Amino acid sequence: MATPQVHHLFHAPIADHSFSSDKQTLAVARENNVELYQSSGNKFALSDELKGHEKTVTSVDIAPNSGRIVTCSQGYSCLQTVMPMSGRRPPLAGSPPLVLLRINRAATFVRWSPSEQKFAVGSGARVIAVCYFEEENDWWISKHLKKPIRSTITTLAWHPNSVLLAAGSTDSHARVFSSFIKGIDSRPEPSAWGERLPFNTICGEFLNDSAGWIQGVAFSPSGNALAFTGHDSSVTVVYPSAPEQPPRAMLNISTRLLPLNSLIWNGENEIIAAGHDCEPFRFHGDESGWQLAGSLEKQTGDGSGPREESALNMFRQMDLKGQTQVDTKLKSTHQNTVNTVRVYEEAGGQVRSFSTSGVDGRVVVWTV
Amino acid sequence: MSQINYRTINIDQLDPESSANFPMETLLPATLPQPETSSDAANVATQVRQLLRGGDTEGALRHVLDTAPLGGDDRAKEVHLATVIEVLQGIRQAEMTRVLEGVCGADGGAERADCLMKYLYKGMSAPAPSSGAQSPRKTVSPQETGFSQVQARNVGEGGGGQQMSVLLNWHEKLVELTGTGSIVRVMTDRRTV
Repeated sequence: MATPQVHHLFHAPIADHSFSSDKQTLAVARENNVELYQSSGNKFALSDELKGHEKTVTSVDIAPNSGRIVTCSQGYSCLQTVMPMSGRRPPLAGSPPLVLLRINRAATFVRWSPSEQKFAVGSGARVIAVCYFEEENDWWISKHLKKPIRSTITTLAWHPNSVLLAAGSTDSHARVFSSFIKGIDSRPEPSAWGERLPFNTICGEFLNDSAGWIQGVAFSPSGNALAFTGHDSSVTVVYPSAPEQPPRAMLNISTRLLPLNSLIWNGENEIIAAGHDCEPFRFHGDESGWQLAGSLEKQTGDGSGPREESALNMFRQMDLKGQTQVDTKLKSTHQNTVNTVRVYEEAGGQVRSFSTSGVDGRVVVWTV
Repeated sequence: MSQINYRTINIDQLDPESSANFPMETLLPATLPQPETSSDAANVATQVRQLLRGGDTEGALRHVLDTAPLGGDDRAKEVHLATVIEVLQGIRQAEMTRVLEGVCGADGGAERADCLMKYLYKGMSAPAPSSGAQSPRKTVSPQETGFSQVQARNVGEGGGGQQMSVLLNWHEKLVELTGTGSIVRVMTDRRTV
């Protein structure tokens, strides 16, 4: 396993990050702005700032093919901007189109659908806004998924067919909805989640025994399994059986770790998740059972160990700090909670590398 | 109408959208066991005492954790809490690790560990059983400030302090075995004990 590539961008929390498909541009949400970094050599240098939000930016996503960036903030709205794919580009011309979501609480999470025709925004107003472009009016429309949501939506994930949408909420439920929009989506193949899928069909609603706010959801590469993690330090994997039926298997792995915030699938039999323990963990399993397989961090033990200190220095430290050694550095690559885990490179559902970002202002690219 | 003081109306109760009206029962899983009454809990207590008398401390702890009245009423939960604490106090410190490994290592051990952690926190939050010697002390601040260090500190005082030190010992041993995840689940889990 190669050593992870660490980009320490600044000393402030990163709410969310996204790489462009050519990996040359990195967008990170920092306070009220979105910063764009360009790769130069093996470093990332600040190239542009998207200033348009008046409140804290909560999420950012770059569509891999069109290069469109969508961001959302606590100020009820979404911004969209188009980014040319390569070469030097002029500073962003004009103001990015604002998408009115018709919500009266903060927008918390935004993701493009795989088809890039739609994006979904989770919010504190107990709705998910599914937005799509209407040619006739030259305007982005937002349609609300509302029905059984009882609390803030914290996370979203798209099914590969761009119709099904998984959402995690602070009411401790993970749900799967249909976000089918006539004229935009083609009719999806029937699957275990459902056959006919009009807008706002609830294809699944899951609660694990120890409840807890859901912080991360993800569909498996085939779309036939759903994993979610939450504030109860557990990962739950659901295998649906048939529409309107209880799931074929619902497996809960309660861990001894601090809560996990985000997770991705690597093939159908591995999940990578990270969170408050500051390092990514691997889970292995299938329908018959899942277990924690360990950390992806190379346990070097930091090598240094207790160094020889001069007696003078030792007593000075004891005098100043009340301890002989000041060791505030964590052994992990990230020095604080990891907020987001994203796939960096993959082929046919197998992840080759993935990226994480967290409260410590670092973006790290890991090789699996 | 002139009698109503509008300032004292709790508007959250009237607003169906308010978070104060969040239906907490929606957080309970469908697998919740049948409701139990305090007499059921008392029956369990008798069985557990028998096991304790027989010297089977591991069996007693396992039984008392398996029969936790997750769906019971408050009275049943109180009776059961007393039973759990009795079992915990009945196990010597030198035996704690061995008993815990037996109870939490077997099949379904993770749930038992989480359940025990819930009881440890509940035991620590409950007021100490009246040790008799406590005289009503004067509070330092003349009015209730909501935060007073004088009360609710039962460290080293009679039975309460002893119970606290037993619970803290168990807590330490349990965290060694099950990690911080178990503590987090005490906070999220709505199947209270």
